[in-house]
Amino acid sequence: MKDTPLSNCERDFLLKAIEEKKRLDGRQTYDYRKIKITFGTDYGCCFVDLGKTRVMAQVSCELVAPKENRPNEGIMFFNIELSPMASPAFEQGRQSELSVKLNRQLERCLRNSKCIDTESLCVVSGEKVWQIRVDVHMLNHDGNLMDAASIAAITALCHFRRPDVGIQGDEVTVYSPEERDPIPLSIYHMPISVSFSFFQQGTYLLVDPCEREERVMDGLLMIAMNKHREICSIQSSGGIMLLKDQVMRCSKIASVKVSEITELISKALDNDKKARKAGGRCGFAESIPQERITALKMDETPVEMMDVTDRANDIVQKAEAPPQTVPSPVVPAPGVGQVGQGLQNTWGLEEQEESDNSGEEQEEIKTQMKEKKDENRGGDVVEISDSEEEEVVILHPEAPDKLPKNTGSGSHQKGAATTKKRQKK
Amino acid sequence: MFSTLMVRVGEVLLPGDEFSCETDDTISLTDHVKPEKVVCGPGLRRSGDRLVVCKSGVLRHKQPNVFWIDSQQRRYVPAKGETVIGIVTTKSGDIFKVDFGGSEQASLSYLAFEGATKRNRPNVQVGDLVFAQFIIANKDMEPELVCIDSSGRANGMGVFGGGGLLFRVSLGLVRRLLSPHSEIRSDLDQLFTCELVVGMNGRLWVRSSSVQQTLIIANLLQSCDTMTAPQRRELFRRVKQGAL
Amino acid sequence: MQLSTIPPRSYVISKSPSAAKQMTSSTLDRLLFLHGGGVMEVCGSSSVTLREFGCEQSLLSRPDGSASFIQGDTSVLAGVYGPAEVKVSKEIYDRATLEVLIQPKVGLPSVRERSQEQCVRETCEASLLLSLHPRSSLTLILQVLHDDGSLLSCFLNAACMALMDAGLPMSCLFCGVTCAIDTDGQIITDPTAAQEKESRALMTFAIDSTERRVLMSSTKGSFSVHELQQCIAVSQKASEKIFQFYRDSVRRRYSKTL
Repeated sequence: MKDTPLSNCERDFLLKAIEEKKRLDGRQTYDYRKIKITFGTDYGCCFVDLGKTRVMAQVSCELVAPKENRPNEGIMFFNIELSPMASPAFEQGRQSELSVKLNRQLERCLRNSKCIDTESLCVVSGEKVWQIRVDVHMLNHDGNLMDAASIAAITALCHFRRPDVGIQGDEVTVYSPEERDPIPLSIYHMPISVSFSFFQQGTYLLVDPCEREERVMDGLLMIAMNKHREICSIQSSGGIMLLKDQVMRCSKIASVKVSEITELISKALDNDKKARKAGGRCGFAESIPQERITALKMDETPVEMMDVTDRANDIVQKAEAPPQTVPSPVVPAPGVGQVGQGLQNTWGLEEQEESDNSGEEQEEIKTQMKEKKDENRGGDVVEISDSEEEEVVILHPEAPDKLPKNTGSGSHQKGAATTKKRQKK
Repeated sequence: MFSTLMVRVGEVLLPGDEFSCETDDTISLTDHVKPEKVVCGPGLRRSGDRLVVCKSGVLRHKQPNVFWIDSQQRRYVPAKGETVIGIVTTKSGDIFKVDFGGSEQASLSYLAFEGATKRNRPNVQVGDLVFAQFIIANKDMEPELVCIDSSGRANGMGVFGGGGLLFRVSLGLVRRLLSPHSEIRSDLDQLFTCELVVGMNGRLWVRSSSVQQTLIIANLLQSCDTMTAPQRRELFRRVKQGAL
Repeated sequence: MQLSTIPPRSYVISKSPSAAKQMTSSTLDRLLFLHGGGVMEVCGSSSVTLREFGCEQSLLSRPDGSASFIQGDTSVLAGVYGPAEVKVSKEIYDRATLEVLIQPKVGLPSVRERSQEQCVRETCEASLLLSLHPRSSLTLILQVLHDDGSLLSCFLNAACMALMDAGLPMSCLFCGVTCAIDTDGQIITDPTAAQEKESRALMTFAIDSTERRVLMSSTKGSFSVHELQQCIAVSQKASEKIFQFYRDSVRRRYSKTL
């Protein structure tokens, strides 16, 4: 599905507004949109709202074999999923340029900056390490996906608890959360990405561009930084030429933004910790805004069950009784059983043609018939009803080759078999 | 049928709600019996002898016998005669392809502008906005737009001039803005002087004296969607105090 | 070396108070049935409650319709785009092409998600009037936010709310109800993940709003015909609560435009 095209009028207006230091949503040049951090019910799940942009991050872990060259380090895996929910332009299962760019940037921001102590994720050196997987899902795209994704990912990592493990000799036991409290990851610092968009070949700069601003921008600079003002990664795209001063200014702005966001994240984490300790319900379900008219919540409701059993009984009784009689199975050839209507395969070769077959096969058929006949005489194994015998009688003599050679009464079969034998001879 | 519908005007209905058209048991011999006629608008469908609601929203009525469901939808479905704001996406030969936010692009002939001839082509570039009217809009055919009325006059339609801002609101708000005595419109009139173009496809274009004012109007209109009349008046009053 | 791995999310135990309540009240009015063959069957009918549920419509700005639906701790986010442009390869000449995508929380969609997608798609196709928008595409994306049992029914409910929010023409509404039969033969509606694990059979029904017919059923485990009928009857009863909830939330939403 295609995205709505951007009209010339929007482009001109946006550029004119930027020149006048005005933005679509009334923000100032260096303002971030409202950031809201919500946690899910389980550990390691985090939602971030950045204005209308919305992302979700989920951290999970798994015991795997370590990489050959790093036998005592855990593995970090990042995956940014551009869900088609976020924008009609995103397609499922397709690696777009944007998703590669975002994935790479997140990896550089969180893995290459060594913000997580991967050595503490080692269980048995060279054999078992924890693989920490971070899935970031884009839910609504209104610009600046990178910043939202980096905030969500690092917050989810801080929130995550992995199960405790015990090692006794060669045996590794993973304890459930009831047995032993799960352990948080050890995180050295929290890198956060801050995006700057440039317009008119770098003359104007905006922090946290929204979707329409991203469409008209000339270039983008992403700086990942922690609160100690250490730059973890820096990337410029769009092919604009920036001056040294501009990059310095951006890094200064980034340091301010990062400390604000870090403060917010730790506050949110503290808040969640308290709520969990108090044993109250927490998570996404509790975050539904009650005051909005688009939202409604209902308490646990019992379902009236008075006549359910009666009704079920009624239906069962009224329903047609399943046929108790099972049609007797027929054995057309050794190791084969057949039930159902007709019991006669009209797709097969006609018997005239069959007579061309080798003598051995015919012999086999004959002996089989005889065996069957014997069984019938015994009367205890295969029961042949009267109706089947009638069926045989009705058949036209013009088409004797279509006779069901394996069904019907024994005498007929014998007859058929003998005629065949004669033909062969 | 008419009376059963009339009773529920103003109520919120959901898909699957039904109106059965049961006839009266006794037919008066003295009165003149008129066949009942009801016109169903969007959201109502006839199914056998019943009328079925197929969209969620409020049941509305217009004299004498028109009924429809007023819903807060965002995706536009074209209807003949409606005017929309479209974005020209391609020029191919004699026609322009116009994106209007529906399920396929509409075609717009270069001759369907006022005063356009084979020699005198209108000046339309890719990415330009056009205000146009549907002359073909049904589910089985490619929609077609024109920028002239039946007498060949522009009548307000055509390519947009420079400046101004395009933004999106819900289709419900657009209908409220276009209703004959729209309160939102008159409230806005008292606040700012501006040029406003309303497309039935949920696109609004606004131009006023300054960028700042244009942005304020755009944000005000976008927030009108979820406000009651008193809330809106209160907001407009505050803006007026702040802006003046 | 022996190793017992725990899947990342398996240790989530419901904190919902309803779970405990359901367990304790289950001993009330049990019914005993004597079948012809002398087989005794225990059928409980008391522990039937729906966990608290909530919904928010139009919470995302990009999709044409969106809704989040929450049942206890289970929550799903749904977004709908359409009627929109369709790829030529997927175009159907007389009706809209409906695509349902389910995004799991961890990893990529697998066979399980594909089968759930099909269940949801078939239910939606039964209730949507697709012939009104031929040669167009409808895309429904469902994102798992948290799985604590009854996920498929939550998908269905979120899907219905999102389709309604998008204003797509529908002949009727639908809702999903999950029933579990535990080892004692008790029916539990809207089970949590822990209850699902302990159950003998698990059934999810999609029920339509006009005649309470079953639009779709998806079952797991073994059960008798009688139990199936009972579960359908229970689900039909429970569906009334959900449909009333739909009506209340839409009414609330339109309260300002009345």
